[in-house]
Amino acid sequence: MSRPRRSRMTRAALAFILMVAVIQLYLFETVLGAVLDGQRGLLPGAFVASLVLTLVALVLAWKVPHLDDGPKS
Amino acid sequence: MFRWKRNFPVDLADESSLSRREFARFLALVSAGFTAGIGYLWGRKKPFDGAPDSSGLERAVDLGPAAALHPGESKLFTFRDADDRCIVLRTQMGDLRAYRQTCTHLGCAVRYDGQRLECPCHHGFFECGQGFPVQGPPTRPLSGINLELRADGRLWAVGDLPKPGDPRRLEEPA
Ligand code: FES
Repeated sequence: MSRPRRSRMTRAALAFILMVAVIQLYLFETVLGAVLDGQRGLLPGAFVASLVLTLVALVLAWKVPHLDDGPKS
Repeated sequence: MFRWKRNFPVDLADESSLSRREFARFLALVSAGFTAGIGYLWGRKKPFDGAPDSSGLERAVDLGPAAALHPGESKLFTFRDADDRCIVLRTQMGDLRAYRQTCTHLGCAVRYDGQRLECPCHHGFFECGQGFPVQGPPTRPLSGINLELRADGRLWAVGDLPKPGDPRRLEEPA
């Protein structure tokens, strides 16, 4: 039996947001290490990348329909 | 049933349940927090304690006659401001090196034991050639100070050395 489409979207959106949070943690740690080593060159790029990821995560978390429609237990 | 449960009839399962959307929103806000953190690092101009200064400002601090420092000896000085504590030392091989005293683990002050730079807080050790950590919790090298030996025999601290491995670190210190 195939899963309903809504449930697949829910899982994909959740997995994506989770992945974004992990990437952000890694990015912040890398940037902090670089700043403590006196290298500030990657700050603008890292900020833009982080901002894009955050905006996508915010849109998904607030706007994706049926995010709570998981498979019934 | 316990009496306290009768007095406080709260269904714990309901209390702690979190919908998927709430969880997703929480993660998105955490992500926004990291973005704000990176923005703060970008906007902050003052270097962190123990971090090299990348503002490009020229400074020079007189450290006294180089000959006064014998192999295995060290001397403390401040460089950027009164809180920027540094140490200049002469290695057993006779080379002069200077570093920020701030340990790259949790920021205690390192000291020279005649062989290596030692952090007393968690027994971290750094070699004194380039400031690499060799033992204990620190994983990043110490921040180095560029030294200049002038014609009159006096030693000057003249700037920040890029961290070892950084392509900007083209020259070895004095
Ligand atoms: S603060 Fe230096 S080893 Fe922990």
